[in-house]
Amino acid sequence: MSDIIRRDPRREWIARNRLHPLHDSVANAVQGEVRGPSGLLRKNPHQVGFIGPNGLKRIDRLKGNAVVGVGNKRSAANQEAVLPLHKVDNPDFYIVVVPDMVGGRLSGHDKDILGLAHTMVSTIEGNGAVVAVCFGESKETHYDLAGVDRLIHLSASEYEGFAPEARLTALTHIEAQLAPKHWLFPDSIHGGSDLGSRLAARLGERPAAQAWQVSGEQTVCRGGGGSLDISRQTPRILMLLEECGEAIDETRHEALAIEVDGISVSEPALQDKGLMDVDPSAIPLAEAEFILSAGNGIHNWDQFHKVATVLGATEGASRVAVDDGFMPRFRQVGATGTWVTARVYLAVGISGAIQHMQGIGQCDKVVAINTDAGCDMVKRAALSVIGDSEDILAELMLLAQARKKGSQEEQSDAA
Amino acid sequence: MQPNVVSLISIGRHPQSGRARRAEQDGRGVELGLKLAGEKLSVLHVGNPEEPVLRQYAGMGLPAMTVLKQDETADAVPALSDYLQQEKIDIVLTGVRSESGESSGMVPYLLAEKLGWPVVARVADIVSIKDGVAEVLLALPRGQRRSVTVKLPFIASVDNAAAPARQSAFGPGQRVRMESVNTHGEVDQIRVDWQEAPAKPRPKRLKTVKAKTAADRFKAATAKPQGGSGKVMKNESAAEKAKAIFDLLIEENVIR
Amino acid sequence: MVIDWLPSILIVVLLALGVIGALRRISLWRAGQPEKVNLIAGLMAMPGRYLNDLHHVVERDKYMSRTHVATAGGFVLSMVLVIAVYVFHVEQKIVTWLLLGALVLMLCGAFFVFKRRLNPPSRLSKGPWMRLPKSLITFALTFIVLTLPVAGVLPEGFGGVLLTLILSVGVIVGLGELLFGMGWGGPMKHAFAGALHLAFHRRPERFGGGRSTGLKPAQLGGESHGVAKPSDFKWNQLLGFDACVQCGKCEAMCPAFAAGQPLNPKKLIQDMVVGLAGGTDAKYAGSPHPVRKTGKEPGKEVGHAKGGANNIITAGLIEADTLWSCTTCRACVEECPMMIEHVDAIVDMRRFLTMEKGDTPNKGSEVLENIIATDNPNGYAPSSRTNWSADQNLPVMKEKKQADVLFWVSDGAFDMRSQRILRSFVKLMKAANVDVAILGDEERDSGDLARRLGDDATFQSLAKRNLATLSQYSFKKIVTTDPHAYHCLRNEYADFDTEGALKGVEVLHHTTFLNQLVQAGALKLDTFKGGKVTYHDPCYLGRYNGEYDAPRDLLRSLGIEVAEMERSRFRSRCCGGGGGAPITDIPGERRIADMRMEDVTATGAELVAVGCQQCTAMLEGVVEPRPEVKDIAEILAGQLIEEVH
Ligand SMILES: Cc1cc2nc3c(=O)[nH]c(=O)nc-3n(C[C@H](O)[C@H](O)[C@H](O)COP(=O)(O)OP(=O)(O)OC[C@H]3O[C@@H](n4cnc5c(N)ncnc54)[C@H](O)[C@@H]3O)c2cc1C
Ligand code: SF4
Ligand code: SF4
Repeated sequence: MSDIIRRDPRREWIARNRLHPLHDSVANAVQGEVRGPSGLLRKNPHQVGFIGPNGLKRIDRLKGNAVVGVGNKRSAANQEAVLPLHKVDNPDFYIVVVPDMVGGRLSGHDKDILGLAHTMVSTIEGNGAVVAVCFGESKETHYDLAGVDRLIHLSASEYEGFAPEARLTALTHIEAQLAPKHWLFPDSIHGGSDLGSRLAARLGERPAAQAWQVSGEQTVCRGGGGSLDISRQTPRILMLLEECGEAIDETRHEALAIEVDGISVSEPALQDKGLMDVDPSAIPLAEAEFILSAGNGIHNWDQFHKVATVLGATEGASRVAVDDGFMPRFRQVGATGTWVTARVYLAVGISGAIQHMQGIGQCDKVVAINTDAGCDMVKRAALSVIGDSEDILAELMLLAQARKKGSQEEQSDAA
Repeated sequence: MQPNVVSLISIGRHPQSGRARRAEQDGRGVELGLKLAGEKLSVLHVGNPEEPVLRQYAGMGLPAMTVLKQDETADAVPALSDYLQQEKIDIVLTGVRSESGESSGMVPYLLAEKLGWPVVARVADIVSIKDGVAEVLLALPRGQRRSVTVKLPFIASVDNAAAPARQSAFGPGQRVRMESVNTHGEVDQIRVDWQEAPAKPRPKRLKTVKAKTAADRFKAATAKPQGGSGKVMKNESAAEKAKAIFDLLIEENVIR
Repeated sequence: MVIDWLPSILIVVLLALGVIGALRRISLWRAGQPEKVNLIAGLMAMPGRYLNDLHHVVERDKYMSRTHVATAGGFVLSMVLVIAVYVFHVEQKIVTWLLLGALVLMLCGAFFVFKRRLNPPSRLSKGPWMRLPKSLITFALTFIVLTLPVAGVLPEGFGGVLLTLILSVGVIVGLGELLFGMGWGGPMKHAFAGALHLAFHRRPERFGGGRSTGLKPAQLGGESHGVAKPSDFKWNQLLGFDACVQCGKCEAMCPAFAAGQPLNPKKLIQDMVVGLAGGTDAKYAGSPHPVRKTGKEPGKEVGHAKGGANNIITAGLIEADTLWSCTTCRACVEECPMMIEHVDAIVDMRRFLTMEKGDTPNKGSEVLENIIATDNPNGYAPSSRTNWSADQNLPVMKEKKQADVLFWVSDGAFDMRSQRILRSFVKLMKAANVDVAILGDEERDSGDLARRLGDDATFQSLAKRNLATLSQYSFKKIVTTDPHAYHCLRNEYADFDTEGALKGVEVLHHTTFLNQLVQAGALKLDTFKGGKVTYHDPCYLGRYNGEYDAPRDLLRSLGIEVAEMERSRFRSRCCGGGGGAPITDIPGERRIADMRMEDVTATGAELVAVGCQQCTAMLEGVVEPRPEVKDIAEILAGQLIEEVH
């Protein structure tokens, strides 16, 4: 509450007007800071110092710190969070960003694009506002900090979930209403590139897909299956890669709502039947994001399977584990098995033979549990723990169970 | 009823060698087409009928394929939509993105717009077709799937999560019947002005520390850099080791 | 006398039936594809081939070779004389005595065959083959008894009608087996088919101590590729299958069979016989293709395989997995007394599966696709082929144009382990001041893998492109550390070398080349002080190219006395890495490499020397603890005394 600066225009006006009867009392009240319309800190030169007992003006070299009233003092941390407000009155043009809003929140990708939108605004003549169009239920509370000047939030049920056609209809309305200078979409699997492409096709625009270096004038986007950089004039519709811009972090924005009326959504041709229930153990190994993989160093297989279930990990195996009949063949990771792309690969009792390593070349983080600190898997791993697999898996299981229990309680509390 | 399915194929590009090849997603599109329509699947390419890569597609067991003969610089969409309009077609399958040229992934959308059909993006599978309605599985990240139904006819772009293309065999590839149709495409004028260069590697964004104070800056400058060789835990207790792993799993957001 | 005419009639009738059967058999072979063979020269060469080459193989088992000489020699001689005596009534004493002698010889042989069959090893087929020695004995005894009166030892008419009848039965049994059975598919078929097989062998180069191991190029284009049906084999291949004596020598040597993979080379050849003649394998009485006990899908049990000359082989006769289990190690071919070419047949059938069906199992299709798109099996960027030698200062042919030695690096260039071998070899060449250059990024996969996986189209394309590159440069020798590439360059590229790129060029394996350097004193080597060392003969170096000695000489030059494994030299057991077997990876009960490592361990060696990067990879894939695995180049480089300049 207290970190939001509330401006009091009347008070500010009195402070400025030395003839006002209340001027003295206002001016002498120790104010934390006064901000100008652009959000910049303003100093009142008249207020610097105070009149000493002999009637002379004294400048306090302690910068008033000595006399700061206790009640008004803000902690340094809080002061940092209060960012200057970026205000756009009567914008000349709009740049519309349609974020993915994965899980109802702005993703990192979305924020990068909002940041980019502002850099684009700054290179275009005139006063531009960045508009975010959000569909469905929103859990986002910080549109202002992400750089949203104007917000169009369409929360009606027809936009909920998978509804590209309804969303497209809404976007064409927005096009008519705002005539945005640019449309920016995340080029993502979460619906951004789909919606962007739909809009481009509907509007007959030639979009830039996989764009990653964009200014108001020039756009560089990937082509030829990622092998080319195509430089071209910045088109109206852009689908942008991750890290195409820097997210906003030094200003606040108004996030003023814009209403769009009269959208009539017709019956969609695509009917959403919902997400499928995909069991982590049924996810194809190549697509799994978290793999718990077993090698020759696993001796308690029941425990291994249990840990995989509790952690929600997809199971993998070395060839030896498969050869010995403990794991099915399609679980084998490596040269003659599957080449996996997991973000986290937890290798338990796997020595790290070349043929196995070939299969995990694309994994981000490898974690090793092994008794042998000198084995190749430990050399490859970001984190290795040296010890008996059974002991460590047992502890891991306890941790996972405790966490599960905790989050269940939390849920039942909330209910 | 066996649906009339057309798979559109393009010339792919191997990411390592840059050589022409059967495109990954188009291959999957043909595979899905074969699953749905079997031998009756039509396979359509716009471009040069002499292109050897077409035989790699044909090697999947296609008795024939149709090539709309056109110059490489020409836009494929008008020729395709003209052709597709003439035929009685239920499903058009494409890749999500081509491996050569602009790779914008717009072809299915432009075709859908021209034909007035719905388009379904990133299809992992078409599960069933009943009474003119298809049940389609869409690919979401990390093995997740969404089920969607759509009325025929429609256009679907096939994701990498779809069943992989079967092996291409030399013999059938040599014997395919190429039916080439002359079309006159217009040169893609917009593209003429573009400049193309080999892709520059994009450096991964570093975690920039916006230091507010000198102390922060100092800390940022002297902090141990991330990455490099991994951390090895030897002498800690099993519980501590497990905790370290668990923390990493939480940090990486793989357990929920 | 009663028995005077009966045997004669029987002999003539059975002879006639035998001839009819033989003609029918010939017509079965003729269902195969035409192949040019010099009939007359072949027939003329046949006895020599039998006495020399075939015997050379049989001779490895002294017991059997003597037995066979006695039985077969006795039989052939006595048959000629029987016809002379009983059909043409040449009844001179000397002839009848000769006949008696031949029969006794045969009887002795048959007796030893019988003895061996009392407690036969598992590799031998049972069924009719158990009957054969008895039939042989019956034949010999019958005619001995018959001939005794003719020879005047016994009075004419001895024994009366009863004996005559008994002897007639004997004649029917004996001659039925030997003449009728020969033409109508009995065990004795092997004599007739075997003789013709020797005469019309598809690789006549193999006779007289020669070697012919390169695969024959597939005909590209046309309605089908490879062998789909038995009738797609060349006629003399079909004839070859018919020559099989079901001795099971191949089975005993086959690494895939021993590992419990679903391949028994003997059964495979018998399946081909079933295919060419039509019918089922119900009569087969040997070991089946192994059936994996832990696998879900049960393999075919004997009796369920059906085939016909014009039926698709993999649809009912044999499982595709049987074909994909083979490592193309040629142990079976090396061992076969009938000189049957298993590997040719297997690859021919694989060609159909890959080039027509697009059905190469497991990683096969991916690997082939990579080879097509990047010229290497793992799909690495072709431009990174020379990365390994960035610090080696190796001249590249593109700039150098000519050198004494062209170092064929092979796909080991992309593999970190193999690079250690390559570097060691480069170090040795530098120490010996060899004028060497590499092709660099212009080199491509040799095509070995594609060819063994049945994709001859890709092999031929690679061979042609490699040859085109080679033809631009001049060099005297090609040396490679990869026996597979060595085999292709040396034995298989010639079929496509229209430009003469390899004409007058010596293709050498690095062990041969290094041995030359050591013999010439170009390398100073320290004695090796490690523990016991054994040597594993790579199939593609040994059996394919006959190089058994150079590696051993090299080790000896380091003062190493090789502790030989029981299976070494031409009997070396494959590491499991050939023929694309690691890629098709057909499950068995055990890993071939594990068995080979057991062979190594049995010698008590701490180090196994090899001459092949693939063997190195396979043997190092065996879980530790196990003896160390090193290429000979690595061992040598370790002992190199570098001169300080
Ligand atoms: C052609 C070829 C292809 C191959 N393809 C593949 C492939 O695709 N995938 C594959 O995985 N392999 C493959 N291999 C096999 C590979 O070379 C190795 O043999 C295999 O990966 C080893 O498996 P491992 O690490 O489970 O077993 P090991 O090498 O035996 O390693 C077991 C590890 O567990 C540790 N350990 C033992 N006990 C414990 C304990 N109680 N707690 C914790 N740690 C313990 C040991 O220190 C050791 O590091 C291939 C080999 C070849 C030759
Ligand atoms: S080549 Fe080797 S693996 Fe193949 S059948 Fe013969 S012995 Fe067996
Ligand atoms: S193929 Fe040769 S080695 Fe094998 S059983 Fe027949 S004759 Fe014997």
